[in-house]
Amino acid sequence: MSASTSHCNEAFSLVRRPAHGPGTASAWLALPKHPDPSAIPLVAVHGIQRGARSQAALFAEEAAKAGRVVIAPCFSSKRFPGYQRVIMPQRADLALLELLDRIGREGMCDTSRVALFGYSGGAQFAHRFALFYPHRIASLSVLSAGWYTFPDDAPYPYGLASPKRRETPWLSSMASGLDRFLELPITALVGALDCTPDSNTRSNRRVDSQQGTHRLERCTRWHKALVAAADARGIQPRSTLHILPDCGHDFTECVRQGGAARLVLRGVPDAEHLSRGAACSASSAA
Amino acid sequence: MITPVTTNSKDLLASAKWAFATRRVARADAVQLIRPVAQAVSGDLVLARVAQIGSHQRVQLTEGRPSTLYPGDLIVAACGARYAADQFEGIARIDPKGTDLLAGGGCLGIMRTRNSKMRQPTRVVPLGLLADAEGNVINLDRYALPAKRTRTDACVIGVIGASMNAGKTTAAAAFIRGLRAGGFRVGAIKATGTGAFGDFNAYLDAGANWVGDFTCAGMVSTYLQPIERIEQALATLIATGTEAGCEVLVVELADGVLQAETAALLRRADVRGQFSGFLYAVPDALAALGGQTALRQFRIQPLALTGLITTSPLNVEEAKAATGLPVLSKEELTDPLLAAALTRSATSAEAEQLAA
Repeated sequence: MSASTSHCNEAFSLVRRPAHGPGTASAWLALPKHPDPSAIPLVAVHGIQRGARSQAALFAEEAAKAGRVVIAPCFSSKRFPGYQRVIMPQRADLALLELLDRIGREGMCDTSRVALFGYSGGAQFAHRFALFYPHRIASLSVLSAGWYTFPDDAPYPYGLASPKRRETPWLSSMASGLDRFLELPITALVGALDCTPDSNTRSNRRVDSQQGTHRLERCTRWHKALVAAADARGIQPRSTLHILPDCGHDFTECVRQGGAARLVLRGVPDAEHLSRGAACSASSAA
Repeated sequence: MITPVTTNSKDLLASAKWAFATRRVARADAVQLIRPVAQAVSGDLVLARVAQIGSHQRVQLTEGRPSTLYPGDLIVAACGARYAADQFEGIARIDPKGTDLLAGGGCLGIMRTRNSKMRQPTRVVPLGLLADAEGNVINLDRYALPAKRTRTDACVIGVIGASMNAGKTTAAAAFIRGLRAGGFRVGAIKATGTGAFGDFNAYLDAGANWVGDFTCAGMVSTYLQPIERIEQALATLIATGTEAGCEVLVVELADGVLQAETAALLRRADVRGQFSGFLYAVPDALAALGGQTALRQFRIQPLALTGLITTSPLNVEEAKAATGLPVLSKEELTDPLLAAALTRSATSAEAEQLAA
């Protein structure tokens, strides 16, 4: 895999990995100078403005303290215009799986389980990817998602049921992964000032009624829904909500002033605390 | 009285083509050849000379490649029975005057019936049974995995079919591929059948992290073996795959669900209890419906249909309507999203059964 190094300092270097074919994604990597091979890598997914490099750069220093690699995939607007919805219209999930496999094979870190973070559109992608592949996730953090997939029976992507006229075996069984998803450590973050809908905020009767009208309200409702769903299933809720003071819908601001990077990385468990075999285990209710 | 056949047994054995089914054998243990070969039992190792090339023109070597056979070639294979509706049915017996190569993976016996499309089997003349320094005949079971029986936390998915060549191995390989792409550590098991490297290699090629079959448990074939022995072999393979760190184990059972050993296994609640779910490979809609009815007797509701049927959209629609089951093509099974969802469906169904 060819790579180009664009930025170095004493703690880390930023490296770009190009895509290598149709359906694949490029990525920026933040590689710590002193990597800990046992540290779970952080995957940081950009918003619809893209900017994968700044995702890697803004997490790099904090991640390097733990020897943690940061992987910031870039879902190009040309190849993956609707990456936020993960599986439609394109299969952005396959691109991320391929990227993780590629990086894992290079041996720079173990990508079998990752700490997944997303900002804005990337937060949409992140929590939906985690719903589909909970066995690949060590922890999930979402910052300022425009809207969410709720743990209910609304049609996907609003909920976990199959959309009308689009019956698929994987969507219809998506709900069966909910227990495993709810067992994940989930950090929901949003700026306290992110309470004004903008041109990128999806708004219609269904989503406004289900989730509220702006990101702060939607994040709060989603977090409450996760806690309620976990309670209803006898699962200890592991979702925490952080409202970042004086922050709006701005990734850099949320990291530098709101401390988002620290909060995200604080939620990443140690590798030895991950349970092996939980990938397929039946729900705790069994 | 043990009678060494020759004094240069080692030279003979070194020049022989060792068949796939003997791959776990420590060749250094075989230091002499003894007679009478007619006393051979299933699993005993036989040195034989190829007399006449018939249906099997190649033998599968331990190295994982096929080797073209020529009259006069020496082969080391195991005495065993075979059940293959599309090929031969034969028993584990060695005729000193000449016996049959029942399977290219290294199964020697006496053919009883053959599919009318098949030529006569390749004929070999047995030269002797392989024996160790104490004169004990060497049997595959000497090199079997230690018997184990542990509760697994892996998701175990069975792949069963309506018949031989219904598409089980293709479906299993596709499913393994999808699971690996989804990041699972996957084991593949061939639980019944006759030893051969085709399925074994198909699992490896699909990316399985660990592969085992009944030959690892000391059998060249499971046909006519005691069901308790086959069940223990399955338990051992599942336990060994679990110890290898596999999160999902894909277990293929040979032939159709009406085949004697396969049916006997599925009839046992303790065997079914080791599985989280089943995929059922069928050639057409009627086989799907009939198999669904047969499987109800075993209290099995497949997660989905798959196999040859998926080449025909009309057959697929018929099968869906008749059974109410989803039908998954190999392309769909290769999709990591669907593969992951299938494991979740399986474990959810298992959990519901446990809770009931």
